[in-house]
Amino acid sequence: MPVEVIMPKVDMDMARGTVAAWHVEPGATVAKGDPLFDIETDKAAMEVEAQADGILHHPAPEGTEVAIGQPVAWLYAEGEEVGDAPAVSAPEAQPEPEEPAETTVSEPVSPPSPTENIRATPRARTLARDANIDLATLTGSGPRGRIQAEDVPQAREEVPATFTAQTGALHVMRSKGTGTPLVLIHGFASDSMSWKPLEAHLKNRALIRIDLPCHGKSPNMRVGSFADLVKTVRQTFDDLHLDAAHVIGHSLGGAVALALADTRPRSIASLTLIAPAGLGPDINEAALAGIARATKPESLAPWLKTLVHDESLINDGYARAAMKTRLDPHMRAAQAALAHAVFPDGTQAFDLKAALHRVSMPTRLIWGRSDKIIPWQHALTAPGPVALHLFEATGHLPQFERAEGIGKLLQSAL
Amino acid sequence: MNMQNAPDIRELSYAEAIREAMDIALGSDERVVLMGEDIGVYGGAFQVTGDLIDKYGPDRVMDTPISELGGAGVAVGAAMTGLRPIFEFQFSDFATLAMEQIVNQAAKIRFMLGGAVSVPLVMRFPAGSGTGAAAQHSQSIEAWLGHVPGLKVIQPSTPEDAKGMLLAALEDPDPVMIFEHKILYKMRGPVPEGHYTIPIGKAAVRREGKDLTIVATSLMVHKALAAADDLAQNGIDAEVIDLRTIRPMDRDTVLASVRKTGRLICVYEGVKTLGVGAEISAMVAESDAFDYLDAPIFRLGGAESPIPYNPELEKAVVPQVPDILNAATELAQGRL
Amino acid sequence: MSDPNTPYAIRTYDAETLKDALRKMFLIRKFEEGAEDSYTRGLIHGTMHLSIGQEASAVGSCMSLSDADKITSTHRGHGHCVAKGADLGRMFAEFFGKEDGYCRGRGGSMHIADVEKGNLGANGIVGGGLPIAVGAALSAKRLNTGAVTVCFFGDGANNEGAFHEALNMAAVWKLPVVFVCENNRYGMSTSTEKSTAVKHIADRASAYNMPGTTVDGNDFSAVAEAVDTAVAHARAGNGPSLVENLTYRWRGHSKSDRNRYRTKEEISDWMARDPILHMSALLVEHKVMSEADVAALETETAQVIQDAIAFANASPAPTAAEATRFVYTDGEAA
Repeated sequence: MPVEVIMPKVDMDMARGTVAAWHVEPGATVAKGDPLFDIETDKAAMEVEAQADGILHHPAPEGTEVAIGQPVAWLYAEGEEVGDAPAVSAPEAQPEPEEPAETTVSEPVSPPSPTENIRATPRARTLARDANIDLATLTGSGPRGRIQAEDVPQAREEVPATFTAQTGALHVMRSKGTGTPLVLIHGFASDSMSWKPLEAHLKNRALIRIDLPCHGKSPNMRVGSFADLVKTVRQTFDDLHLDAAHVIGHSLGGAVALALADTRPRSIASLTLIAPAGLGPDINEAALAGIARATKPESLAPWLKTLVHDESLINDGYARAAMKTRLDPHMRAAQAALAHAVFPDGTQAFDLKAALHRVSMPTRLIWGRSDKIIPWQHALTAPGPVALHLFEATGHLPQFERAEGIGKLLQSAL
Repeated sequence: MNMQNAPDIRELSYAEAIREAMDIALGSDERVVLMGEDIGVYGGAFQVTGDLIDKYGPDRVMDTPISELGGAGVAVGAAMTGLRPIFEFQFSDFATLAMEQIVNQAAKIRFMLGGAVSVPLVMRFPAGSGTGAAAQHSQSIEAWLGHVPGLKVIQPSTPEDAKGMLLAALEDPDPVMIFEHKILYKMRGPVPEGHYTIPIGKAAVRREGKDLTIVATSLMVHKALAAADDLAQNGIDAEVIDLRTIRPMDRDTVLASVRKTGRLICVYEGVKTLGVGAEISAMVAESDAFDYLDAPIFRLGGAESPIPYNPELEKAVVPQVPDILNAATELAQGRL
Repeated sequence: MSDPNTPYAIRTYDAETLKDALRKMFLIRKFEEGAEDSYTRGLIHGTMHLSIGQEASAVGSCMSLSDADKITSTHRGHGHCVAKGADLGRMFAEFFGKEDGYCRGRGGSMHIADVEKGNLGANGIVGGGLPIAVGAALSAKRLNTGAVTVCFFGDGANNEGAFHEALNMAAVWKLPVVFVCENNRYGMSTSTEKSTAVKHIADRASAYNMPGTTVDGNDFSAVAEAVDTAVAHARAGNGPSLVENLTYRWRGHSKSDRNRYRTKEEISDWMARDPILHMSALLVEHKVMSEADVAALETETAQVIQDAIAFANASPAPTAAEATRFVYTDGEAA
């Protein structure tokens, strides 16, 4: 058995050394104590003596950096057969463990009792106090329900409340297909990409998706009122010069679609309103504000969960993807301003009940019975000719949670 | 590449930077003397004084007997009477033998004498774990001395600071204790040529960020910066403050950062309980910055244990990059 | 030129110097009696350590020192301070915690210093001043000032590590320092017999290769001769010496001492060996002063003390707003 020559540890905090030079050629005989090779560490150069008699073979090339304890050569006995370099016997010194040392932050968890003071961070308290908001009215998104800054509606004032108002046409994305095109208008804090799940069930249909102002790829416009918003979308619709279109709108986009249908009855073949705004005063302002001001997936996710019935649909990946579309603080600020214009004081400031009674094209309302953003009961204001489709166990995004069902519905109807 | 900047990017190791500072001081001020165990021809246990004895001789680069208490006291007396001693403890742990002179004499003489005399003394303490030297050669006792009014206690974390803060310490009329992490001695970095000072009592923002503040000291600054790079990959933007001085502490820099980020982690190698992080935390909690906190303050300090010998155990008792990463992620995501 | 049987002091000093030495001994005695009286009247805040009975050691040890020479002192340091030329009014002011005190009321009895006169300060830590004295001697040698440092310490300090480390370093580096041990036989209540392995503390000198001498510390002339010799030795560049002055404190260790560790007989035996009476007799015998001169000197020093106390009483007290002033030099005119 050849004798291993190792990289010795010659310095207290040395981890590796470089073989600087060999004093003997491979195949040469050395005696114990003869100078064998030089090493260099980041501190010093040092000569290493042979630890045994023998014939040098398989020396590590000069300039090689070797971990301490690892072989740099072997010494063979006279007449011993020299093959390939023997396998390394000593394990290399382990690098830092991958597994992070446990950071324990366990505290006894006790269920909050009704008498317990409200759990809130100092910053959240400060913000709530300044904005004259009762902490008891807020829902905390932190550990054990702790109210954090992002849970206080006024915290939106913390993000850049200003944006540079832009002008220009709304962004329109078309997909080729057959038949009368479907015009899709998304809801608040969403964009054209949100139709993807439904589109999977609308194969071969011509699609035209409009990004609302301050959403998706549309400019961050100053929108002063709901009428302003409708005017902008109507201009875009007119510019499409469509003879006929099936208009589908969701939430705020539903309200826009209804208002559009009210003024462009001849070119709109049918109207599909999914959980539309405009049919009652109530709207979940906290959720809209929470989504609008979220700056990271972690703060966006809890609000996204209020949009659906099955919260497991909103996993980390979904929240991250959603947040990716909302990274631009100017866009968020513009949306916040838009929300302020159309939903001041948490109220839907426009009433389209009369419009729903006026429109004469085939119209259907689709709603989830677990909608936590706009109560599904608003659908009950619809007049007789309007078809109602109420989905059980479905939240504010039926086109997401019930994509297949709604896809089938539309394919057969349109 | 602007060649005029070339001299500025010259790199030295932390130990070389300290040696250069001492060389400048010895060369420009006759009153400066170096004292310590084996700092002469041996060059110091960590080769910080190196070959300065060849240049300045044994009267100015003085090997002391192994008498930490006496040696420290001689340095105090010399500082009171006209010399500017730089006293090196071979290991900071050995300063425990000299506590009487540091705490009762150096720190208090100016005060006890109603300002009649100052003690312009510089002491250097090779500190910290990571060298396998076990429990009596690896401690971080800076917080002990940080608790003593009359002393200034600094922990430079870069070669540039090591030189500039040592030269600042020499200009300071009061005793300045310099804790040098032994692992930093070989760290290289840009060091300006010639004489310059970096002020005592001023923290440095090493990395700007908006999501949370990591206040770290000494070697932990580098671990915090490594963690901050990883955090950035996950979309978490950490601000890293190098405290640099633990007495007097730079309140303004820390509080301004916490007001901005609302979240604070303190990372230090000394024992966590009653340590530097406790002071930083209390400083924030007692200030107006408290109102900006959006999560509990988190401390990552040394374990409640002496430093063990086994390398895995040794790592386990002081904060490591993954610990900082975990804590920062949890904190930034509102889970702490 | 003079009879070798004539005591050293008479041979060495002129009449004015000798009278001044006796005057300082009276001042020390009366200062401490005045301090004790003030304490009794509640004018003094903390405790104090009185050196009554040890005046010859303090004054005799400083005879060949100038203001450029340094001393380090002990918790029982009033005598050293007066011997080095301190102002009694400022000393009392310090006792009373006043702004005109040597430490502006921050130090009190245990920390009186007079840096301008070379007194680097009393010290509350037994043995604390020993390495500092060596440091001062190191400065003198490096800066070539020619100054010598006299380091006062008590018998208790001779068992501190600092004593051994300091003597060793002073010897190794051949520094101009004289270690003066005022052996008053007790470290608080523990006698040197119980605490110290050697018979004479001066015997420790041989371990550090320096001259060691034990003298009657109540004999001014003997003390002056031993310390002057050691100072000359140091000033000539021959390094340190150790001088042990055997003496006795008449009062207890501090004001809390109930004197349970020594007998009344022992105390009265030592009071019979009063160093001031001894010095007065010497000066009268050698016709330096008359009995009347001595009496007049005592009266004069008593008046100095009265004036000093009056000065201290009139001095302003520091304000609480400045309680933490002087911790750091920052913001202070040096």
